[in-house]
Amino acid sequence: MRMNREQFLTALREHLAGLPQEDIDRSVDFYREMIDDRMEDGLAECDAVAAIGPAAEIAAQIRAEAAQTKPILEKIRQKHPLKVWKIVLLALGSPVWLPLLLTAFLLVLVALLLVLIFYMLIWVTLIVFYAADVTIAAGALAGLVGIFAYLSVGNLPGAVVSVGAGLVCAGLSILLFFGCNWMAKKAQLSGILIYRKIKSRFKRNAERMG
Amino acid sequence: MDIQLKRGLLDICVLAAIKNEPSYGYQIIKDIKPYLEISESTLYPILRRLETAEQLTVQTAEHNGRLRKYYYITECGKKRIEAFRQDWNEILSIYQFITRRGNEDE
Repeated sequence: MRMNREQFLTALREHLAGLPQEDIDRSVDFYREMIDDRMEDGLAECDAVAAIGPAAEIAAQIRAEAAQTKPILEKIRQKHPLKVWKIVLLALGSPVWLPLLLTAFLLVLVALLLVLIFYMLIWVTLIVFYAADVTIAAGALAGLVGIFAYLSVGNLPGAVVSVGAGLVCAGLSILLFFGCNWMAKKAQLSGILIYRKIKSRFKRNAERMG
Repeated sequence: MDIQLKRGLLDICVLAAIKNEPSYGYQIIKDIKPYLEISESTLYPILRRLETAEQLTVQTAEHNGRLRKYYYITECGKKRIEAFRQDWNEILSIYQFITRRGNEDE
């Protein structure tokens, strides 16, 4: 059966149902990237999908692999609570460590907040740009209305100026619209990147503690 | 090639493919394919295994308006390649032993 990329990835997701969500997402991301890279290499979408192989077979392989590594992972996870508890007890038991730990925690919180505010500022700026774009587009519309207004009173030069102004506004607003879209796409991608970086940093720290 | 032997070699090949500069999944497959049969579904568990063993790290970066994962070798990964190179001398002498025995039979 010929499948497109999304059909294949949906099928893969369905075949993987029951595994931890993180594992499913990771696998789907990996195969999405593989299909995209093949397409970038010049293959048609359905050929790129076909080259990967049937979703059911791939899912079966991932399941087999997960079954092998799972016991090890569970052993590691079981160790976590004990060691974290030890650290907490140590911190609570020592008058020096508690304020230090609290300070570190607050610093991390402030850093996260700063990142969040900065990211929100980017989007607010974008919204302002979009608003400006709408205003300019309104200007283009006004130019159009202006033609008829000038013509109805017999003012030809006025109508010509109105056409010119309207066209300039229309051009500007289209340009700005594409610019905004481009920036929005970049902002969205970098948002995902920042989120993943923060997540992986926390995970690494958690693993180190365990 | 024997599956067990191939499995061990593939790990080293993947590490070798990212040794000089970080690389991404499809490029790694293209680099290894002339030497050893490898597909996406073979590469995926290898990458995960090497990541868990801290022989490589993963970083996501933007490429052509989408996200792509780049794999970076670690010190531990470089040591694994070095260990393999040292093992190779041993394997060579084993190979000579095997072929010598083979010739005596004829």
